[in-house]
Amino acid sequence: MELRIALAGNPNSGKTTLFNALTGSNQFVGNWPGVTVEKKEGRLKGQEGVIVTDLPGIYSLSPYTPEEIVARKYLIEERPDVILNIVDGTNLERNLYLTTQLTEIGIPVVVAINMMDIVRKNGDSIDIEGLSRVVDSPVVEISALRGDGVEKAAAIAIEMAKKKAKPRRRYFSGIVEHALAHIEEAVVHHLPEQQQRWYAIKIFERDVRVIEKLDVSADLLTHIEKDIKTVEHEFDDDAESIIINERYNYITEALKGCYKRRRVGISTTEKIDRVVTNRFAALPIFALIMFLVYFISVSTVGTWMTDYTNDGLFGDGWYLFGIGRSAYEEALEEYVDEHLIIERAAGFVQAAEATGSDIRGLDDLKEALSAREWGAIEEAIGSYGSQIVTGIDAEGNTVTLDTWLEAELENAPVSEDFGVWVPGIPVLLGALLEKMNVSPWLYSLVIDGMVGGVGAVLGFVPQILVLFLFLAFLEACGYMSRIAFVLDRIFCKFGLSGKSFIPLLIGTGCSVPGIMASRTIENEADRRMTVITTSFVPCGAKLPVIALIAGALFGGAWWVAPVAYFVGITAVICSGLILKKTKLFAGDPAPFVMELPAYHMPTASSILRSMWDRGWAFIKKAGTIILVSTIVIWVLSHLGVVDGGFGFLLEMELEDSLLGYFGKGVKWIFAPLGFASIETAVATFMGLVAKEEIVAVLGVLDFLDMTRLAGFSFLVFNLLCAPCFAAMGAIKREMNSAKWTAFAIGYQCLFAYLVSLVIYQVGALFAADVTANAVGVAVSVLVVLLFLYLLLRPNRAARAGKGALQQ
Amino acid sequence: MLEWLAENWGNILVIAVLLLAVGAVVYFRVRARRAGRGGCGGCAGCAMKDICHEKYKKNL
Repeated sequence: MELRIALAGNPNSGKTTLFNALTGSNQFVGNWPGVTVEKKEGRLKGQEGVIVTDLPGIYSLSPYTPEEIVARKYLIEERPDVILNIVDGTNLERNLYLTTQLTEIGIPVVVAINMMDIVRKNGDSIDIEGLSRVVDSPVVEISALRGDGVEKAAAIAIEMAKKKAKPRRRYFSGIVEHALAHIEEAVVHHLPEQQQRWYAIKIFERDVRVIEKLDVSADLLTHIEKDIKTVEHEFDDDAESIIINERYNYITEALKGCYKRRRVGISTTEKIDRVVTNRFAALPIFALIMFLVYFISVSTVGTWMTDYTNDGLFGDGWYLFGIGRSAYEEALEEYVDEHLIIERAAGFVQAAEATGSDIRGLDDLKEALSAREWGAIEEAIGSYGSQIVTGIDAEGNTVTLDTWLEAELENAPVSEDFGVWVPGIPVLLGALLEKMNVSPWLYSLVIDGMVGGVGAVLGFVPQILVLFLFLAFLEACGYMSRIAFVLDRIFCKFGLSGKSFIPLLIGTGCSVPGIMASRTIENEADRRMTVITTSFVPCGAKLPVIALIAGALFGGAWWVAPVAYFVGITAVICSGLILKKTKLFAGDPAPFVMELPAYHMPTASSILRSMWDRGWAFIKKAGTIILVSTIVIWVLSHLGVVDGGFGFLLEMELEDSLLGYFGKGVKWIFAPLGFASIETAVATFMGLVAKEEIVAVLGVLDFLDMTRLAGFSFLVFNLLCAPCFAAMGAIKREMNSAKWTAFAIGYQCLFAYLVSLVIYQVGALFAADVTANAVGVAVSVLVVLLFLYLLLRPNRAARAGKGALQQ
Repeated sequence: MLEWLAENWGNILVIAVLLLAVGAVVYFRVRARRAGRGGCGGCAGCAMKDICHEKYKKNL
């Protein structure tokens, strides 16, 4: 016979952390309410036959929210053997309100006071024994985060379950008890004795669900209604409020003897909150923090590590501990100077410029050559050198700047001859394949296709890990909860609910759980709107795309990644404003009640675990979906038209391949957005499989034929358009309607298209390397005017709703 | 035949490894998807754990 322990408590009281500590599982823990929407089950660590159920956070057993319905249904209908009630010690009064209800349902209760470390730090004290007498149940001190007292709490819970020791009845005022006795006698006498009390109270409160469940006849209801009315008349209040007041009065009285709060000035949390939730400073602080998070992740620490990974592990190789690097660089510089390579290259560029021909990347080439930075010169010539003709070789073939450089460096010093050189994966694997004497096509498939594609994605793992580390810290320390609160204040002004922001916060890791977390929003219109907008916030998979564009087209500019994040947030807010003014999404915002947890320093292990869980999911995806996709991309880019027929060619031009034909067929769609190449069109479509796929496709096909403006437009479109198939599946599940799913995906694609269109067409007026198109600019101006109209027009839908209410 | 095998053993081995890898990826992805681990981070990263894919779990 299995024993069942239910974990119940207020939102954000630490249930899931306790659940993880008790079961050794690794459930997602978020420092905001609503992380657990459904119950979760696990087996108690080191104890046979004990099931632990983590229930969603609830404030009461009244069915006001989906979480309360789920938790109440489980506790009342499935009746666990014992309830382990987690109580936030820093908020004792409010948490005990639920405890007073849990002790009424006829199931043994053990109260675990969590966050005792913070209680002590605040200088407060709780008389555990006294409190135990008040609730007539064992009370244990725990710190779920540190694992203190967790095993003791579980042991006591098991003991209580075996004893079947129920808390004794707690009495309300005489007149309320009189009514309850009547209800018990008239309506619930047929139920098991231990359940009668709870049902009687709920009937007294006129709980519709309970009345429906018990199928109470109209006559009987009329009969007991007289008793309820008498009480209401006596207290001059409604029945539900009477019970609530009675409970709070009881808690206040009971705590007088066992809870001492040391109030010396304001707490550290309050001091921090005065600044970070300040009416004027909150948003700039949030913007600054998120700017720093994305800047550090993508442009500094993350980039240094990613460059090392891309150039070393997935490139030619690296010097172990840097031994030999400076000697190699010195020798190379000497060789380059001796052969006047930079001067000659600059001469070729100058000559090409003098012909007046349009050379893409000319500024980059000139900048790199004048700065004499060898790495930048190699990169720029590799990217744009094919456009500059340097001469004709002995066989009469045209030589371009990139092939000229290659020939010039044939006798240059090689990295392997200096220090401790560790070859990269492509080099090692290439050598192995050569030794195995594999065919050139197979060599190309493995090295150019698989290693090139997967390596391009895996190269961004360091940046992803740094981003997830920061996000995990912000979540765990309690700051992200403040953001939901701060944005609720602003969202409400525009008719949106702050509750919508929690899925957006979760969606920063991955859109799938973010979309699913929208289930906590009761208002259907708000819920649908949140589902539609959640994937606008850049998820982890979009970070490599941001980093790729920032690195390849903007020279690692500091502003690209933060701007990409704020484009997402702005898209959410603007979409919310536009949609809310339509009849489909009209209505008052749902109230958002949220308790702000006290700030605390999270443990290193919990942050690292959170970072690694998300990072590992990214790595797994690269090794599975991306790996298979790169093979498909490589095959499709080598099968196609050969000498008028269909066949395979290792040196096939992309335009002649199957992939090229597909790209040519769809690239016109993106022409107004500035990225009409086959590579970017294919990458955009492959991004629907997984957003990292964009990087993998460009890793296999290469894409440097792009202006900065087109690159930014490409980035924005891919950030805002339809998410990956997994997220689309989540949208379909949450919408539960093909029509709404199609609307959501259609809206995302249209929104992304129009934003990118405006960016490219209006940007072309200011960009030196892009020619503006009069029709494109005119259409963009119309789009902007329409957007402003939709954004600023009066909210007639809401007014109509209010008018109807007033009538 | 032996001569052909001797000449192409490298190709055969690499192709076999690739086919195995792709087969394993497809098999495990389909299985994971049915078990509700389709998104990033799988069920552990999902607020709706234990509610999706109930039918599949019952069949396990």
